[in-house]
Amino acid sequence: MILVIGGYAQGKLEYVKEKYLTGEEDIFDFDVDDIAELKRYSDGSFSDSLIVLNNINSLIKKELDDGKDPEELLEKILSKFNNAIIITDEVGNGIVPIDKNERIYREKTGRLQCMLAQNADEVIRVTCGLGQRIK
Amino acid sequence: MMILVYGGSGSGKSAFAEKKITELNESDVLLYYLATMQAYDAEDEERVKRHRKQRDGKGFTTIEQPKDIGSRALELKEEKSDVLLECMSNLVANEMFSEEIRDSSIYDKTVSEEKSFDKYDVVFNKIKDEIIKLKDSCNNLIIVSNNVFEDGSIYDDETMKYIKTLGAINVFLAEISDEVWEVVAGITVRIK
Repeated sequence: MILVIGGYAQGKLEYVKEKYLTGEEDIFDFDVDDIAELKRYSDGSFSDSLIVLNNINSLIKKELDDGKDPEELLEKILSKFNNAIIITDEVGNGIVPIDKNERIYREKTGRLQCMLAQNADEVIRVTCGLGQRIK
Repeated sequence: MMILVYGGSGSGKSAFAEKKITELNESDVLLYYLATMQAYDAEDEERVKRHRKQRDGKGFTTIEQPKDIGSRALELKEEKSDVLLECMSNLVANEMFSEEIRDSSIYDKTVSEEKSFDKYDVVFNKIKDEIIKLKDSCNNLIIVSNNVFEDGSIYDDETMKYIKTLGAINVFLAEISDEVWEVVAGITVRIK
């Protein structure tokens, strides 16, 4: 698994497309795509083909908004794909939000990103469209 | 040896800083955790609890010092100590929004923008002096600081001044540190 992390609008997806994709791969975007669509993959026992899971931070947000622990779903999804590129927004580099739910989202996203990075074979940090391999 | 550890919320910077100072700490040197966070509510208490649990069994003695960190320099010097200071973002907030600073004649927010900038200087210089003192008093010093600079939001004047002050302090800390590490998703990147 490859984890790609960086700030909003830093060109993470474009970087991934250029560096890793041939154009044949599926790109699942948690910002716009319905999670039910992903079930198409996760219903099957296992998938070896490369998939891009974009905006995983949005999945974390949706799960938290629904009062669920995002870790469970995240682990379930990960266990279904052998070959995934996960793209996530860095959300922790700012002033602590006044809103409690926003604080929880930031903290939880940070911790889950640590978990993803730990499990990743490669971690790429993207700034201004430039990727820096940090693991 | 002085090290700056820098990162965002939930990046894993504390765990790394603790590991680093524990590795540096020799058996005849005392190990202190200089805690600058003031707990105001249950959520803060939880955070303190989590950090305590994380430090448990690593041999730290905790000193709670929400501000005036320089006041501890002398006793640390007498004892030969390694110090982990966590975290600069809280210290700067505590110093900037403390009652003494609010009430001081040099800072009157009803007067003018120019006057209120004095507060930035006062806090910046105070912390700078105290850090130099602390550095001279410690065997090894590790300071944890926050990246609060990349959310792109514009806040009220007070908060913007806070961000500027913390930014200036971070620049100063990086200058006088032997090593600077940035922590991203638990991964450490040495930037100095």
